[in-house]
Amino acid sequence: MKKIIKKMVVFMLLFSLVAFAAGCGSPSSAPISGEENGTDPATTEEINEEGIEETPAGPVMSSKAQEIEQVLMEQLAPLPEFNTGEKIGALIITLANPFWVSMKEGYEKAGEELGIEVTVMAAPTEGDTKSQLETLDAMVARDYAAIVASPIEPFNLVPGVVKANKKGIKVINLGPPISEEALEEAGGYLDGKITVNYEEQGSLAAEYIVEKLGPEGGKVAIIQGIPGAGQSEGRAAGAKRVFEAAKNVEIVSIQPGNWDRNTAYNIASNILQAHPDIRAIFSCNDVMALAAADALEAAGKREGVIILGVDFISEAHEAIKEGKLDGSIAYSINIYSKAALILALKTVQGHDIPDEVYSPLALVSKENVAEFAGWE
Amino acid sequence: MQKYVQTDLTKIKLLTSHIFPQLLLILVMLIMVILLSVTSPFFLTWDNLRNIFDHSSLYIILALGMTFVISSGGIDLSVGAVAALSGVCMAAAMQGGLEAGLSILGGLIVGGLMGAANGSIISFLKINPFIVTLGVMSLSRGLALIITGGIPIYGFPRDFTWWGNGHIGPFNPPMLLAAFLTVLAAVVLNMSRFGYYTLALGGNEEALRRSGVSIHLYKIIVYILSGVAAALGGLVVTARLNTAEPLAGWMLEMDSIAAVVLGGTSMKGGKGSVAGTVTACLLLGMLRNGLVILSIPSYYQQLVIGIIILAAVIIAEVRSGKNLAFINK
Repeated sequence: MKKIIKKMVVFMLLFSLVAFAAGCGSPSSAPISGEENGTDPATTEEINEEGIEETPAGPVMSSKAQEIEQVLMEQLAPLPEFNTGEKIGALIITLANPFWVSMKEGYEKAGEELGIEVTVMAAPTEGDTKSQLETLDAMVARDYAAIVASPIEPFNLVPGVVKANKKGIKVINLGPPISEEALEEAGGYLDGKITVNYEEQGSLAAEYIVEKLGPEGGKVAIIQGIPGAGQSEGRAAGAKRVFEAAKNVEIVSIQPGNWDRNTAYNIASNILQAHPDIRAIFSCNDVMALAAADALEAAGKREGVIILGVDFISEAHEAIKEGKLDGSIAYSINIYSKAALILALKTVQGHDIPDEVYSPLALVSKENVAEFAGWE
Repeated sequence: MQKYVQTDLTKIKLLTSHIFPQLLLILVMLIMVILLSVTSPFFLTWDNLRNIFDHSSLYIILALGMTFVISSGGIDLSVGAVAALSGVCMAAAMQGGLEAGLSILGGLIVGGLMGAANGSIISFLKINPFIVTLGVMSLSRGLALIITGGIPIYGFPRDFTWWGNGHIGPFNPPMLLAAFLTVLAAVVLNMSRFGYYTLALGGNEEALRRSGVSIHLYKIIVYILSGVAAALGGLVVTARLNTAEPLAGWMLEMDSIAAVVLGGTSMKGGKGSVAGTVTACLLLGMLRNGLVILSIPSYYQQLVIGIIILAAVIIAEVRSGKNLAFINK
């Protein structure tokens, strides 16, 4: 009998541990580490390539960030009422990716600033489409006024969005698109969209390259991400359009680098072999641009070639300061997440909103990199 | 020692009862329902309970197949990958112009074939099921990646997506499929000759062989069942998400094994409980849902589920009389 009691005690201890973890962890006490290492986002996942901002968090906003925020606020005017304490849920992709960890921090910071209650939830891993939908379903069962959702895939959140629509919860789509066609078929809709204009990222970078090449032009190459991925196709298309329109500029190669440092390094070496007179390389993200710079450096041909990336990750920030990289296309995660929350608030308070809002972009180059000190 | 524990246990009928693990699970579940209902007003609503049943149905379908495999003394690590492969095959067939019904049938056959491959290699070549199914797991993922070229296949006809989010009264097809399979599995495992042989395979394979039963046949059927269950899981997940992705069902094998063990089926084989498996799936589904309802970050889901599984295994070991040194000293 004594033994049974002992056994029961062991069980009760174990169970109370579980109950403790389930019952007592409140979102505010959750010790989430934001110190994810952001130096190597070079995985093959489509979303991973979005990169991270990891500049030392200074209390002062960079001058460029303020300027960008201004642009965005104009796009969102008239602003809704703040400090109303609305409950807004944000569903991101996964906290296992530093980009989304920064996004979560951005949401929470913006929520505090705007005086609303923001809860951020995520799928356990980057590829867990099923769990992400289950998480959305459970969020819909709560009392959020609006949910800002970033789907892993265009279709996986569709049934959850329909449920939210039925319950009257506003749904804003941030970043990767939720398929509106599939949503319509299922009897649902989005209340708002905010995204980064990928084509514009490509065209901004290409315009800078064309300007730098001057009237004599020259040979240029594009290193894509994973073929078929939205960011990759959009950025490459934007750059291609500008290059093709420019006089004397010839695109000699468009190669898929799969967001991967090593692949991009090899591609850059090969391009250099085939076209020793290459004048510029546009890479669809910073990691690949940095690899291309390394490859040219190793071949002793770095001088005179313009290399641009996208994302403005902290490593790129350093590289632009040192002159290793010529430039990158930046957008601020903090401003992005804040804009999404403002958009959500506007829909909740019954304002009309534009069909699609784009997070403003900025071209960073050695000429203006000083203005980006403290960029987040 | 063993004898002493036995006599000790008989003093309380409940503890000796073979349904003790299931009763314990139900108790834990009740405590959880009460805790969650008190903590959050959003938990105990029909919409949310429906969410839990809906989400658990996938785990139930896979775990039922796994219950047979584990009862027979084996293990099947390939189910997540086979679910993905079957889903991808169904999607590819529909993309190729085949109608939904035939595509589903094709996917189920693929699942059955992978199961047959598992069972045949394990049975005829007498290789450890852990290694064999690990190989088939990798093989299935590889095939799924090759078929899709790594890019998910989107957008299916309504006839197909109905299997994921159609409506049948207040329920949906995955829930009803899970319920139907639960009843079927319970009847087969507890009342049919096949169920008896499955348990005997796990309990004493040699005795079964000597009594003239073709153990190869039964072993292969067990793995085919698991493969078909995985394919049905693939159908549900592909239809619900309207997407067939080669990496779907990642770690689903672990979730199913966890549910089966939590439900009181012995990892050594010879003992299996369908009711326990289903209760465990619902418990895990409720836990996942509850953590989101309470806005607890995803990191904790893994941690809490891990603790529960460890607790369940420790209790099972204690009960089976393999005494823990510190308790009996």
